[in-house]
Amino acid sequence: MAQAFAAALTASLPAPAASPAPVAPTHEAIPPSMAKVIDIEAEIPLHTVQLDGMVVAKIIKHAREAPSTTAHGLLLGLDLDGTLEVSNSFPLPQHSGEDEDKSAKMIARYQGSMLRSLKEVQADDSVVGFYQAATLGAFFNQSLIDTQAIHQEKLRHGGIVVVHDLSQTARGNASFRAFRLTAAFLSAYKKSSFSTSSLINHRLTFSSILEEVPLKIRTNPLLSSFLGTLTKSCRSPLSDATPDGMTELALPPSFSMLDSGTTGVTRNLEQIIEAIDNYRTEEGNVAYLTRQIARERTRADNYVAKRKEESQARVAQGLAPLPEEDVTRLFKIPPEPSRLESMLLLGQIDGLAKSLAGTSSTGLVKMYGASASG
Amino acid sequence: MSQAPSSSAINPHNAASTSTAQSVLRTPSQVLIHPVALFSILDHYLRRTDDQGRVIGTLLGTRTDGDTIEVHTAFAMLHTETSEQVAVDAEYLKVMYDLCHKVNPREVIVGWYSTGSTLNTYSALIHNFYSQETNPYPAIHVALNTGTEENEEPGVKAYVSSSAAGAPKPEDAIFVPVPVELRFHEAERSGLDLLIKATSSPTLTTTQPVTDLELLESSLKTLMDMLDRVLAYVRAVLAGEKKGDAAVGRYLMDTLGTSTDDLEKGGFNSSLQDMLMVTYLANLVRSQAEVSARLALISM
Repeated sequence: MAQAFAAALTASLPAPAASPAPVAPTHEAIPPSMAKVIDIEAEIPLHTVQLDGMVVAKIIKHAREAPSTTAHGLLLGLDLDGTLEVSNSFPLPQHSGEDEDKSAKMIARYQGSMLRSLKEVQADDSVVGFYQAATLGAFFNQSLIDTQAIHQEKLRHGGIVVVHDLSQTARGNASFRAFRLTAAFLSAYKKSSFSTSSLINHRLTFSSILEEVPLKIRTNPLLSSFLGTLTKSCRSPLSDATPDGMTELALPPSFSMLDSGTTGVTRNLEQIIEAIDNYRTEEGNVAYLTRQIARERTRADNYVAKRKEESQARVAQGLAPLPEEDVTRLFKIPPEPSRLESMLLLGQIDGLAKSLAGTSSTGLVKMYGASASG
Repeated sequence: MSQAPSSSAINPHNAASTSTAQSVLRTPSQVLIHPVALFSILDHYLRRTDDQGRVIGTLLGTRTDGDTIEVHTAFAMLHTETSEQVAVDAEYLKVMYDLCHKVNPREVIVGWYSTGSTLNTYSALIHNFYSQETNPYPAIHVALNTGTEENEEPGVKAYVSSSAAGAPKPEDAIFVPVPVELRFHEAERSGLDLLIKATSSPTLTTTQPVTDLELLESSLKTLMDMLDRVLAYVRAVLAGEKKGDAAVGRYLMDTLGTSTDDLEKGGFNSSLQDMLMVTYLANLVRSQAEVSARLALISM
C-alpha cells in the first residue's frame, strides 16, 4: 500500500526544476522590494508553515468523513521569505485493497487531472506537501515516512507533512502540526539500513525521526469579515424564545472544553495496550532473528576455525594448505533485522501516552474546578 | 446566516402544489450548508480575474429523504459572462465531478453558487443548465454576498426555481427563496473556533499547537465574565435600579440551582483516584518507551 502510494507520487510530481514560483515564466523583473523575499533557487530555509482557513476546514471535514482513520491529501501553495503558505488542499482517494500497481496509477492520474483543473480556475497548483489524519496522537506509520521521504527529495524545500489529530479536535482543541524528516533519519533511510549499528551512527530514536516546523493558521480578510458576520448576534423576532433561541446566531459560542466527561480515556488505554502488544511481537521477531544470526555466525566461525586447524596441521606435516573457501556461501547468515518498525511503534506508544497524559491532566483540573464550585 | 426574507412575493408551498411533476419529488424546503462550501466560495471569489464580476461554481452534497438538501462542498467553475452571452464549461464540470466523486461517492451535484445577490436572465440560464445535471431532482442556487460592495450586507441566500407560468423558456424563471442554515458536525466545531480565534488577532494568524490547558483557561475566563454580568444584573435588580424580568429569573434559578450532590457523595474521590492512576500510567508508559528507544542504541 505504502509503496503504491509513494510510487504514484513519484510518477506524478513535477521535477523540482519545474516548480520555481510564478516569477519565472513571465520574465518580469522582480521589484526591489520583493527581491529579498522571493527566492527562485529555494535558498531561504523554511521556518514557518502557514495554513489558510479554508485548508483547515477542508482537512477537518475530510478527516471526519473518510471511512478509515488515515485520510490523506495534498497541500498546495507557495513559499515566501521562509514562510510556506498553504493556500489550498485536496483529498486523495483511499487506496482500494486490490492491485497495488493499478491503484498507484489511478492516484497519479487523479492527482494530475486535479492539479490541471485547479490551475484552470486560478488556484495554486504547486504541491508543497501532504496532510494526514491521525487519532489520539499516534501518527507514526510507514506510509507517512515513505511519502515524506519521496517528497523531501522531489519537492522544493522538501515539502512538509501536516498532521491533524482527529480525536483531539473532537474534544474541542483542533490540532494541526507540521513536520519534516530530520537529516539523520533521511540519510539512514536512503541507505535503507536500520540495523543497530546504523541507528547508533545516526543517533536515531523515535523522537529524532521528525522535526516539527512551527505552524500558524491564517484567515484572509474576506474570510475574517464573513466569520465576523456569522458570530454576530441579532435578537430573535420571537418574543417568547428560550435563552437558547433568544439570539439568532449561526455560530453560538461553545463550551465543549468544560465537559468533564472522561469518555475517550478507555479507548486511549486500549490503544496503548494494543500498541504495546504490537511492539512486543515486533521485538520478539527481532530477538528471534538476532538469535538466528548469532547461531549461524558461531557455526560459521567454528567451521573456519576447524579448517584453519586442519590447514595448520597439514603445513606442519609438510603438505600444501587447504585452499581458501568462501564461508559465506556455505552458511547463510540472514541480514540484520530492520529496527525501523519497532522504532515507529515506540513512537506511536509515546504519542498515545502523551495524549492520554494530556487528557487526564486537564481532567484533573476540571474536577477540582467543579468540586470547588460545588 | 440570513434567513429567507419574509418579503418573498411567492409562497414556496403554493409553487410546489401547483406543479404536478413535483408532487413526487418535493421542492427542497431547507438548505443546510457546511462551512467548507462557504469558505471555498470565498476563496474562489478572491482568486477571480479582474474582468469577472462574479464567480460561479458547483455545489456538491446529499439529499435527505425529506426535502432537505445538505451542501457539503463546492468547487469553482469556468464561466464567461458578456452582455450578449453566458458560457459555462460543461466538460470541466464533468471532469471535476468525476474527481470529487472518487473521493466521496456519496456527494452528488445538488446545484450551483454565485457571488453577489443579483439574479438575472443569465442566472436563469445557468440554473436551467444545472437542472439538467440534477435531473430529476430540482437544482438549488446559493447566492453568497461577500459584503465587499458598498451598502451590501454579507450573507447567504438559497433559491429553488419554478418556471414562470405558461412560459417554458429557459431564461424565464422565478427564484423562490429557501431557508438556509449553517450545519456542521459537532466534532468540527473546534476547527471553526480556531478560525474565529485567528480573526480576533490583529495579524489574523494564530499559532499552533495550543495545549488543552490554555483552551480550558480561556473557556473559564469567558465563563467568569458571564457570571460577572449576571451578578451585576442581579445586584442592579436588588438595588431597584432595574426592573427584574421574571423569565430571566426563572432561567437563572434553573441554571444555578443544578445539584452537585453526586460529586459530594464520594463520587469525586473515586474518580479522582482513577484520574491520578491514569496520569501516572501514561507518564510511566512514556518513560518506558523513551528508555526502550535509548537501549536500542546500545550495542553489546
